[in-house]
Amino acid sequence: MSIIKTVDVKKWFGDFQALKGISMEVAEGEVLVICGPSGSGKSTFIRCINRLEQHQEGEIVVDGIELTNDLKNIEAIRSEVGMVFQSFNLFPHLTVMQNITLAPIWVRKKSRSESEEKAMELLERVGIPEQAQKFPGQLSGGQQQRVAIARALAMEPKIMLFDEPTSALDPEMIKEVLDAMKELAESGMTMIVVTHEMGFAKEVADRVMLFDEGLMVEENTPNEFFDNPKNDRTKLFLSQIL
Amino acid sequence: MISNNKFFIENPYGRWVRDNLFSSSSSAFLTFFAGFMVIYSYRGIVGFILNPERMWTSVTYNMKLYMILAYPDEAMIRVWLSVGLALILGGLSIGFYNSGKSISLGGIFQKLFTISAVIALLIALAPTNTNVIQNDGSIEAVEIIPQDVRMLILGPSLVLTLAFFFLRNIKIKNLFNTAKVNLTYFGLIIGSLYFIKIPTISLDSSGERIIPDPFLPIASTTYIPWTILYVGMLLFFFIGSLLKNKDVKIMSRLIPIAWFLCPLFIFSWIFKKPLVELNTVFSADIPSILVFGIIGFLIIRFSDNESIGVYRTPINIGFFILSVVVFLLPLVFIFKATMVLLLLLLVVSPAIATTKEGKRQLFIVWVVSLFVLTFLIRGASSDTMLVTPTGSIFGGFSLTWLLAIFGTYASFPLGLALALGRTSTLPVIRIICTGIIEIVRSVPYITWLFFASVMLTVFLPAGVEFNLIIRVLILTAFFSGAYFAEYIRGGLQSIPKGQYEAANAIGMNPFQRIFLVIVPQALRTIIPTLVGSVITSFKDSSLVAIIGLFDILRIGTSVIPAQSQPVVFIGRNLEQLVFLSFFFWVFTFVFSRRSMKFEKRLGLGER
Repeated sequence: MSIIKTVDVKKWFGDFQALKGISMEVAEGEVLVICGPSGSGKSTFIRCINRLEQHQEGEIVVDGIELTNDLKNIEAIRSEVGMVFQSFNLFPHLTVMQNITLAPIWVRKKSRSESEEKAMELLERVGIPEQAQKFPGQLSGGQQQRVAIARALAMEPKIMLFDEPTSALDPEMIKEVLDAMKELAESGMTMIVVTHEMGFAKEVADRVMLFDEGLMVEENTPNEFFDNPKNDRTKLFLSQIL
Repeated sequence: MISNNKFFIENPYGRWVRDNLFSSSSSAFLTFFAGFMVIYSYRGIVGFILNPERMWTSVTYNMKLYMILAYPDEAMIRVWLSVGLALILGGLSIGFYNSGKSISLGGIFQKLFTISAVIALLIALAPTNTNVIQNDGSIEAVEIIPQDVRMLILGPSLVLTLAFFFLRNIKIKNLFNTAKVNLTYFGLIIGSLYFIKIPTISLDSSGERIIPDPFLPIASTTYIPWTILYVGMLLFFFIGSLLKNKDVKIMSRLIPIAWFLCPLFIFSWIFKKPLVELNTVFSADIPSILVFGIIGFLIIRFSDNESIGVYRTPINIGFFILSVVVFLLPLVFIFKATMVLLLLLLVVSPAIATTKEGKRQLFIVWVVSLFVLTFLIRGASSDTMLVTPTGSIFGGFSLTWLLAIFGTYASFPLGLALALGRTSTLPVIRIICTGIIEIVRSVPYITWLFFASVMLTVFLPAGVEFNLIIRVLILTAFFSGAYFAEYIRGGLQSIPKGQYEAANAIGMNPFQRIFLVIVPQALRTIIPTLVGSVITSFKDSSLVAIIGLFDILRIGTSVIPAQSQPVVFIGRNLEQLVFLSFFFWVFTFVFSRRSMKFEKRLGLGER
């Protein structure tokens, strides 16, 4: 049973075609890693999945709802799909606790006490319960990114999207974020991760995809992808980054 | 120029002086030059103030005129209530926010050292003589500070300065509660109203002026209200610290709200004739609040009941028809208005009151809005004091203050709406908002004032007429609103795109996104600009003098210099101008200092 299904998705920025027809499916509980050189359309693609970008042609179905211009549909999808950004995008005027409880209280209409309880649970899960009353500006990059993961999880999403979650971090902070993501994957969350962390891909992913110039050039299991790639472009890409 | 003399290295003051005042030849020159300028102008100002030609009684005698113009004596209690409300809130805030913090004895001595040193310096530098123009045109020097008076102040203040200088370094474990220290300072300020004596004009029982003018305390005619107010303030100070000690969390939200609402209450006290007829309150207001409160409770309680849910559409339609019928019947307005609100409640409550807490909150909101609605409607239907048969009695500082505060209160939401409208994606709204902003900003304030005073009546249909003050208020709201809108737009543009995306990604609707994420951050970045524009609107309110309103500046420049009863003050312009500049300076200075603290507190979460 596929929870995300895209058919021939195309997207233009002015004259530039960023996506040239992407068709794929993601099953429930699957962890999909997308990699590729910069400008290959991988970020644009996962941003299309919760409609931060609009695709112009093709069809995207998430959890049985097709993404159209209907505002109700979009908000419904967005509350089912959590997203973690490269630059964290925490709300600097709110404490960590308020950052996490904002959406449950206002979007899900839960009570404050219930949301705070849940938020503490999530903070413990990502390993920083002691930072709850601090402001994002007082935390390190790795801690901020883990708060961002907790914020996305607070909506109890069915799918999590990660848009290069470790690219803006210092090397020693990458591990703590990847650990949190690994733990999430083991708990059975459906995840799409855009990343350059090949170690993570090897260890956690169920499937790996390579994007290049707006096309999906390879789709494979991690073992096959790294040891025995089908496409020459993949070989070139791997030889450059490994 | 930098000296390595032992004094400059070892003494912290010496080092500061070397590093900041005499670090190079040019900075030494600037220090001497600036010091000379400051001392020269200080001596000039003191000479001007103490000049025997000045008649400061023209200011002290007219203080009431300055503050409230011709406000009726029998309604003075309202003025005192207003001042009292502010003082009580002040006491509560000092008690609540400063309790628990403490200051060391050394810190207090440090402050006292600074104060006494400044006094000693000022009196030492003050001029002995000043020039007075004689009747025949010659200039003669007149002694203004006798040598013995100078010594009498200089001696003790020097001794105190020296004493505090050594005392401030002693290590005493005693800590003093900051709140109590602040309260003592405040007490000294209030106390000075009783003890500092100034020359005043007094009339004896037969209406004859007593000569020479007696020296009376500042508050000589207002002892009783000031005493009551200070006691009230003390009382609320203790309530505040008690609440802090009991750790009542809700106060930290209530106090800012109370400060926000306080000017509105003062408006309604000073400018409206409140109808506090116990008869009406008990026979109409309280029963209506009770009945509608109960109906609202029932609606909230059973709105998500499933068996009722089936009949929701017929119930809504039936209620709609009922409220239309009620609206057409000749009933009290408050009843009609509440019926419409009840209809709204009926429609929204199934969506909002889904949990127990949601129901509780909605019920509280409902009851509070019933009270506010009743208060507003009673206020709106009561007589205004703005218009009296003989024209307006309003003026002086109360008018200046009304224009400034009302301008801010009304223009802020307007500015926010215009800014959001201008950045909207809907072209019609965007064009309208941009048009309003650009038209209002491209015409000078004075022109708009003339428009309000002369032209607006031409545009309005015959028979519709507003009081001039109200016309000016509406205009001020639009004028500062347009400026606010541009500041806020600047703030909105400084918010990175990622914040919009993050808000979208957690499923917020556009409304939540704007008001929970974007606007709070945008406002934070423009607080300094907003404070500046509030101060500007406070000062600009003086411009209403040219369209015939009696604000504090006009009283000072044209009313008082024309007085000849009971004393001749004709031509006494200079004293008024000095007093007014000092008065405006105190207000704007206090305001900008307060807002700096506010800024710091809000900036807590900034990167």
